[in-house]
Amino acid sequence: MSPLPGLVGQADVGGDIVVDCGAVIVGSGAGGATMAAELSEAGVDVIVIEEGGYHPTESFGTNSCRALRTLYRDGGGGMAVGRPSVLFAEGRCVGGSTVVNGGMSWRTPARVLARWAAGGVTAISEPDMEPYFARAEGRHSVGLQDPGTVGRDSELFRGGAEAKGWTVLPNRRNQLHCAGTNNCTNGCPTGAKRSMLVTSVPRALSLGARLFADCRVDRVTRSGAAVTGVTGHFIRQGGRAGPRMTVRARAVIVAGGAVQTPALLARSGLRSASGTLGRNLSLHPNATVIAFFDEDVTGWQGVHQAFQVREFTPEGLLLTATNLTPPMLAGIMPGHGRELGELMADYNRVVTAGPLVSDSGTGRVRNVPGLGAQVFYRLTDSDAARVVRGVELTGQALFAAGARRLLLPFDGTPEARGPGELRRLLSRPVPKRSIQLYSIHLMGTARMNDDPRRGVTDSFGEFHGVPGLFVADASLFPGPTGINPMETVIALAMRNARQLVERRSRYAI
Amino acid sequence: MVLRGPVRTAARRFAEVVCPPGVRAGDRTDRVLGELELMLGALQPTARTAVAAVFVLIDQAARLHPRARGRRLGRLDDEAADAYLRALLARPGTAAQLAGRLKSLVVMCYYELPEARREIGYDPDPYITAVSRRRLDRYSADIRATEAGVAAPDPWQDRR
Ligand SMILES: Cc1cc2nc3c(=O)[nH]c(=O)nc-3n(C[C@H](O)[C@H](O)[C@H](O)COP(=O)(O)OP(=O)(O)OC[C@H]3O[C@@H](n4cnc5c(N)ncnc54)[C@H](O)[C@@H]3O)c2cc1C
Repeated sequence: MSPLPGLVGQADVGGDIVVDCGAVIVGSGAGGATMAAELSEAGVDVIVIEEGGYHPTESFGTNSCRALRTLYRDGGGGMAVGRPSVLFAEGRCVGGSTVVNGGMSWRTPARVLARWAAGGVTAISEPDMEPYFARAEGRHSVGLQDPGTVGRDSELFRGGAEAKGWTVLPNRRNQLHCAGTNNCTNGCPTGAKRSMLVTSVPRALSLGARLFADCRVDRVTRSGAAVTGVTGHFIRQGGRAGPRMTVRARAVIVAGGAVQTPALLARSGLRSASGTLGRNLSLHPNATVIAFFDEDVTGWQGVHQAFQVREFTPEGLLLTATNLTPPMLAGIMPGHGRELGELMADYNRVVTAGPLVSDSGTGRVRNVPGLGAQVFYRLTDSDAARVVRGVELTGQALFAAGARRLLLPFDGTPEARGPGELRRLLSRPVPKRSIQLYSIHLMGTARMNDDPRRGVTDSFGEFHGVPGLFVADASLFPGPTGINPMETVIALAMRNARQLVERRSRYAI
Repeated sequence: MVLRGPVRTAARRFAEVVCPPGVRAGDRTDRVLGELELMLGALQPTARTAVAAVFVLIDQAARLHPRARGRRLGRLDDEAADAYLRALLARPGTAAQLAGRLKSLVVMCYYELPEARREIGYDPDPYITAVSRRRLDRYSADIRATEAGVAAPDPWQDRR
């Protein structure tokens, strides 16, 4: 029995299923769930197919490994292969990455929208987008933290940055009186984080949409140039393939995220004349500095991330402090055995912070038969230099806040015990392959552009040359946003859903 | 996924060496392996097979380390095992990268054990209970109103 009306999981399914609808949506994350809610509200008969399971708020706890297994793809251990390789994480559950994300909710900067417009996307200026940002923020309760919910780790980092004279902004987050449990990445245990799980998914279902969870879409089906639906299969407990699923639909909306979407389109035999399907991957590489303080910081008491240092955004650098749970911190700590134990014994005196780099988009997703989506990424020299600079700036702020020593995200680099030493260490060239990077912002692999020679979709997400096939996720971005991307995904999905509804007669939906 | 035979033996010894010494207390190593099995179950089948192979490879490759005198990792005393892994992890290249990723995975499993969390002062559940209760005490009216509005009509008023 499903707790939400219209939700079907693998346990509810005994045999193969064939269903009809107006629009089928692949993925229930930021893009897919938003599309589902908007189209359902307009009376479109919607089916959502989600590969991950349904995990309600009450099931979320503080066990990070359990969260990685149940809420993330591949246990959170994606890897973009390169020198260096970049670890990345994507959500895989009803609600997608929004269930495990940090809840930072920022509008696309005007300069980024202007760049996208200049590059060939229409109706994307700041005034064009304003109503969609406003709607997204209203739907997801975007605002500032209540007093008393910010942790000491965030306050220390803010204090350090302000002591340097840098601009610091309090985070805008999609939260309804967030209590500061610092459990965002394991799923919010109070429902205060207004992820898709507690907003657009129940909204769409209450407006008549149907959602099939634990079901992976294998292919988009076509007849001639027109799309006819999707085929896939349910995933049984333990990962075994279950019954087959066939959806016959007049519109197909792919919102599997910037890694899965291009892979699904490619394995469905779709090609883009632009040659950019699967290319142009940006991933906002992040690096983490581990700072040890004398005082008790107990960073897990307070919101996941409270502030952003915006001083260096013109250089494409954003600096933040984010508390990590013990397994996550242990996973990136150097050393092993006794040495690791000694470092971790200071867990409550640690602040973790680092730069996010607005990168130049040189990654690629390929669909490899038998292996699925494989990701490759080349960190450019200039992006590598910015990572190093971002680490140095982060370190300066941490020392200004009173840190005693820093562990740096470069293999083989000794710890830094003061600002002078940090400067000295980083004045030598840092080999690119020694940089430890990770990513949680994947974007750009089916970019929009009105010119079919330059983009995979038009300005409203419709695949060039395949009427009725749409992309509605972070793949659409022509380039990196330089800030947290979720609100951009949601606002674009609202805008594109509205366009689709206005043209619904073309698709008979 | 259940770790069996030589893979289990290799994974067990690897865990003993990479985790803090506390891993040897009571049945902690077994429970780390239990957590690891669950994590491996979340990977794609090819990745699972690769992880199993890397455990065995790391075990066997110890034979080449000068202090091992031809013995595999499972047969080395703690000091030699530690020296071997230190050398392996410090070497630039793919082998070190793979060993590093396995080390991360295994120590993550260790720090999921309730007693390992407690030993480093991480005990979030009472804190979460307290702040969640405070949230409801302070803001319940607003929370209820917002929850009730999740499915409220919200059509576009204007036409473009
Ligand atoms: C740990 C973490 C923290 C983050 N923090 C922030 C933050 O604080 N602020 C912010 O703005 N952004 C953050 N992000 C990024 C943000 O969550 C994503 O940019 C956003 O959710 C992307 O939306 P999407 O629709 O493209 O994909 P997703 O939200 O990832 O949804 C895609 C969904 O499609 C499903 N799917 C994929 N392929 C298939 C298939 N073949 N069949 C069926 N279903 C499929 C997936 O299982 C998934 O549920 C974070 C991400 C992570 C992982």
